Amino acid sequence: MVRLPYTTALTTLFSYGLLFAFGQLRDFFRKFVDWFKAKNVKGYAPICLGLEDFYVRRLYLRIQDCFGRPIASAPDSWFDVVERTSNDNNKTLQCTSNTTRCLNLGSYNYLGFAAADEYCTPRVIESLKKYSASTCSVRVDGGTTKLHAELEELAARFVGKPAAILFGMGYVTNSAIIPCLIGKGGLIISDSLNHNSIVNGARGSGATVRVFQHNSPAHLEEVLREQIAGGQPRTHRPWKKIIVIVEGIYSMEGELCKLPEIIAVCKKYKAYTYLDEAHSIGAVGQSGRGVCELLGVDPADVDIMMGTFTKSFGSCGGYIAASKEIIQHLKQSCPAHLYATSMSPPAVQQVISAIKVILGEDGSNRGAQKLARIRENSNFFRSELKKMGFEVLGDNDSPVMPIMLYNPAKIPAFSRECLRQKVAVVTVAFPATPLLLARARICISASHTREDLMKALDVISRVGDLVGIKYFPAEPPKIAEADHDKLE
Amino acid sequence: MGRRGEPYYVEAAPPVDVNKNTEWFMYPGVWTTYILLLFFVWLLVLSVSGCSPGAAWTVVNLAHFAITYHFFHWKKGTPFAADDQGIYSRLTWWEQIDNGQQLTRNRKFLTVVPVVLYLIASHLTDYKQPMFFLNTIAVFVLVVAKLPNMHKVRIFGINADI
Repeated sequence: MVRLPYTTALTTLFSYGLLFAFGQLRDFFRKFVDWFKAKNVKGYAPICLGLEDFYVRRLYLRIQDCFGRPIASAPDSWFDVVERTSNDNNKTLQCTSNTTRCLNLGSYNYLGFAAADEYCTPRVIESLKKYSASTCSVRVDGGTTKLHAELEELAARFVGKPAAILFGMGYVTNSAIIPCLIGKGGLIISDSLNHNSIVNGARGSGATVRVFQHNSPAHLEEVLREQIAGGQPRTHRPWKKIIVIVEGIYSMEGELCKLPEIIAVCKKYKAYTYLDEAHSIGAVGQSGRGVCELLGVDPADVDIMMGTFTKSFGSCGGYIAASKEIIQHLKQSCPAHLYATSMSPPAVQQVISAIKVILGEDGSNRGAQKLARIRENSNFFRSELKKMGFEVLGDNDSPVMPIMLYNPAKIPAFSRECLRQKVAVVTVAFPATPLLLARARICISASHTREDLMKALDVISRVGDLVGIKYFPAEPPKIAEADHDKLE
Repeated sequence: MGRRGEPYYVEAAPPVDVNKNTEWFMYPGVWTTYILLLFFVWLLVLSVSGCSPGAAWTVVNLAHFAITYHFFHWKKGTPFAADDQGIYSRLTWWEQIDNGQQLTRNRKFLTVVPVVLYLIASHLTDYKQPMFFLNTIAVFVLVVAKLPNMHKVRIFGINADI
């Protein structure tokens, strides 16, 4: 739930209308300019129907330089951003050989494992020498090494489930598993702000998909009651199974899921639960075990727990943790396990080492320090931004904080001006977020020092004033209040 | 608009609509923007051409007819190619909004706007021909296109699939 000034809503809608109108006008004239160009592919259907790529061509490409910026170093708290130039108004971009050293506020580097780490990197290099960069084989063939077995057991233990299975890619973990768990005749109820991978998996499964209002256990109950009473679409037979899919931390909102209430509703109506902890595993919770630990939910109550290794562990790939029977079924039926190359052994070793650091099994308390630091950093940053008058979403303890921009013109303005001041931020617009709610998303890391955060706050405050995104009144500084009290 | 000097805030709950092409219509401020846009275009037409107010409203009504007919009832599909896998590629925008539900508040509002424009334009031109005839055609086509019985109907195969 965001609160925006009414005039901002009006001006944002008007701006998008203007952009749309200009895009249509340009398309109209382009039709005339291209009328006389030779069409040498007679009889073939066009690749895109007229309207399909409108958004990409006329809106996205105009501010293309704010997205997908290449970097030239490891994504640590400071990194090198490659400068790009364009000769044709951002339609194509060319990389130059210059780089700028910027503060990294965009990488999902929650625990600081993205750059070389004193415990993980030597072990990764050793495993690279021993097992080579790729097994060049599928898991069921010759692709399961000792490391894979160790990580599966370690991931299950970390999360609190009996067994786990690994995949080489985080997106594929959702989109290839959901079709193995449910098919035609089943019902998937997913949160309205779920990630594209879940949407893709749900569509690919063939089950009926229903959406419930973001993070609203009351609406979930309403949808469940309606669907259970109605049954399957035409035949009205009872559903074969019902799975409710939610995420731990929603990456565009920074919000935590209302997990205890949702689990209670699901248990009442006997629906299965699937928790996607891509952003919360390793980043929240007393010992980094994710949103279950933070909210006091027993992992045995969630049927399937999914997570990725890309964010907090500095590696690649994903895992599913569930009961032994489910994992056994997945190992025999999931195409991502049976036909995809297994995870690269050094990447597996990185995750094993990262989990050992987090659990403290490497013999030091760096893991606990990192967890405390990320919690402190996130809470400090969020409260300071709120005090300055920005509209910041997300709950306390969540390392993801979106700053609302709303107006489409403020997206490139904020992004480019911050880059000029050597702070790299990620801005997100339609269609990744709803139309009115464009935002700049800040991801705090345990490797950010207090000086880094102060610099970031200073730059963001100045740019925020320039761009005009301090929608709430700023809190007055504390000194004025103390003086006022003295006078009384 | 709220207490003196303080902006008036509205709450924007993310809508449940999965179709990115139509969910922007569920937000607060959309109806007001639409009405304000029509009003400002009328002012623009008046100031640029210097014609009578009634003729300006007729121009606005006919332009509104052309634009809304093209974008609501002619263009099919969505501006995002890969994201929705083409499940809406046979539906016009009008058929997509509110997930295909008929007679919702948004639909009722959008049906009333051409009628109100017609009444204003006809009244201010004193129901004289030829403006009256053109305005009547505009409102007739737009209102018929928005009736619930016309959902997914393609008369004489006009605008039928690709």
